[in-house]
Amino acid sequence: MHQHADDERWDRQKTREAFARFAEAKKDPGSSEYERLRSELVVAHLNLVRYLAVKFANRGEALDDLIQVGTVGLLKAIDRFDLERGVEFTTYATPTIVGEIKRYFRDKGWAVKVPRRLQELNLAVNRAIEKLSVKMGRSPTVAELAEHLNASEEDILEAQELGQAYNLLSLDTELSGEGDKKSQTLADYIGTTDAGLALLEDKANLERAFEVLTGRERVILYLRFYESVSQTEIAKRLNVSQMHVSRLQQKALEKLRHVLQE
Amino acid sequence: MNQPIAHPNRSAGLVELRIPSKAEWVAVARLAVAAVANRLNFSIEDIEDVKLAVAEACTNCIQHAHGSDQIEITCETDSDALTIRVRDYGQGTRPEAIQSRRVDEPRVGGLGVFLIRSLMDAVEYDVHPEHGTNLVMTKKVTA
Repeated sequence: MHQHADDERWDRQKTREAFARFAEAKKDPGSSEYERLRSELVVAHLNLVRYLAVKFANRGEALDDLIQVGTVGLLKAIDRFDLERGVEFTTYATPTIVGEIKRYFRDKGWAVKVPRRLQELNLAVNRAIEKLSVKMGRSPTVAELAEHLNASEEDILEAQELGQAYNLLSLDTELSGEGDKKSQTLADYIGTTDAGLALLEDKANLERAFEVLTGRERVILYLRFYESVSQTEIAKRLNVSQMHVSRLQQKALEKLRHVLQE
Repeated sequence: MNQPIAHPNRSAGLVELRIPSKAEWVAVARLAVAAVANRLNFSIEDIEDVKLAVAEACTNCIQHAHGSDQIEITCETDSDALTIRVRDYGQGTRPEAIQSRRVDEPRVGGLGVFLIRSLMDAVEYDVHPEHGTNLVMTKKVTA
């Protein structure tokens, strides 16, 4: 670790010198020396870009793309950095690189896509719970759900907790920001009233109400009312008595009724 | 049209969490602060930023903890900001860890703090070889 600190001090000194030379070369931006020093500085700091890009890699965009836009940020930082400010280059460059990476997400409409992805995952998790519960005869673990859905355990937990809850976006949220033309907002994507809308709302309410149920209650209601399986057959599949299924079904329906009346 | 809409009254809240100072527990902190941030009407982008900042702060603690085996994460919410304190207590200080630090140049994970600074609105921290690391960061809810 001591060695590490020394290396770092040496690196800082070297970086300062490189920027001093670069500042000289800037006086003649057409020179080959200017280009050479500039690319030398870029190469020397690609690790910083990579380090930062990796931190954003779990947000659903390809790491290579993040490194690429991060490098754009690095170039900006190199061109604007002034030794006289008395700060380390890495201190100066980090917000510029992070800013560029975050802008990339915004341009991609990421803030619209991610809640949707979480909501979809939330529904997928609920379906998987039913499926795996029936298959295994017990409630699945988060690890099993993650494997089944090819997602991380944290994603599963987050989708369950927040998938339905993440803030709804303002209709005036701009979907893309750059360029001269007026950017589109969510409101631009709203269609006309659909006759099935009320039905959809009922369905959404019901789906939300389903969340108060335990895995087993969901399975029972699903089999009974979506798949029209008899109570006796459900009892056989879950390896419990028909009376028990009847009681659970009764309890589950009461819970649903209670939630929907709220 | 552009009149600010009054925020629903979200009363001040305090959430405290202690996790073992181990990498595999950081996800618990991430999830907890995400849930807290969500209560404050943060956008999803801001929530992701808060999660990343907290993960970085915890990682700092894990890498630089002087023998402390717990990390304490405190979230304080008011209507327009979330303040998170991430700290450990350097109990049972490992001597070799102190020796490797340069007192004149406190480094809480170096780059990690720059990253946190570029994600949050305000960051303060202090490192004490014996009393551990204490990092306080604030993010404002943008209307």
